[in-house]
Amino acid sequence: MSIVSWCHWLQNTSWATSMRQSDYMFPIIEGSHILALSLSVGLIVLLDLRLLRLVLPSERVTKIMNQVMPWALPGFAIMFVTGLLLFFAQAEKVYTNGYFRVKMLVLVILGINALIYQLKFYPAMAEWDLSESVPRGAQVIAITSLAFWMIVIACGRLMAYEL
Amino acid sequence: MSLQDLWRMSYDSHTIDILRNSKYAIPVIQSFHLFGITLLLGSMVILNLRLSGIGLKQIPMALLAKQVWRLAIGGLLLAMATGFLVFLPDPARYAANYAFRTKMVALCVAVGFQFLIYRKVIRSGAAESGSPRNIMVACCSLTSWFLVGWAGRAIAFLG
Repeated sequence: MSIVSWCHWLQNTSWATSMRQSDYMFPIIEGSHILALSLSVGLIVLLDLRLLRLVLPSERVTKIMNQVMPWALPGFAIMFVTGLLLFFAQAEKVYTNGYFRVKMLVLVILGINALIYQLKFYPAMAEWDLSESVPRGAQVIAITSLAFWMIVIACGRLMAYEL
Repeated sequence: MSLQDLWRMSYDSHTIDILRNSKYAIPVIQSFHLFGITLLLGSMVILNLRLSGIGLKQIPMALLAKQVWRLAIGGLLLAMATGFLVFLPDPARYAANYAFRTKMVALCVAVGFQFLIYRKVIRSGAAESGSPRNIMVACCSLTSWFLVGWAGRAIAFLG
């Protein structure tokens, strides 16, 4: 079975159909997906801006990270679950949508970006997290994160026009 | 000149035609509207978690009240400027939309609360602790901003 026909089957299951056609479920799931941006991307932006020393330069990066991540992670969990449900509801159209594909690709890149930070910069953070200079590589990761999250948001908005 | 005339003029203007007729102008402006919303709501989540004493307790409120406040206002300005550009090409459609009207009222309430009450509260020394008063102010702030957000989302569903 091809992926497209699987998507076709998926969106025609009774629960995906009822979600798509419901007066309240679909708007609530979609609204939650958008407003949870505040908890997920909104909080990551603070971290990225701190790495670039644009906000809270006097506070340790480790401290901000420890304080922000427990709230950002549930935010990303909400994004993932609501996003998955939105995909189920319109699987076939979404799967063939160009913006959706770019969005997924960029999300993978963002995942790798975060992984590089965790492996390469996180272990030694204590050495530089209060100093004037953040390692060049960590700054590149922060800029990449800011730029690519903007692309993700734009793709998410643009794909909705074609559904 | 009444507001009505202003909308009439913008509707008839050839400059606005560029926005209306371009396939990508409004979607791209809408994307920037979302960047603004993300920045504004993200900042408000941070400020209110701290104000209510639930989160970010190790970061002094005085610092957040200065620096994250700026991010919030930056996000608000971006969202308002782009929102205005989305509104201008099609004022009649929005004016007739109940969700849009609700959003504008909620926006006035949220902005009024933000500048008249909230700003003073987060800049006072009493903002460092999660007192019942601070929790209440944080709830009012988050409720007002998320009401604006939900009403905004509802615009599309009410046509």
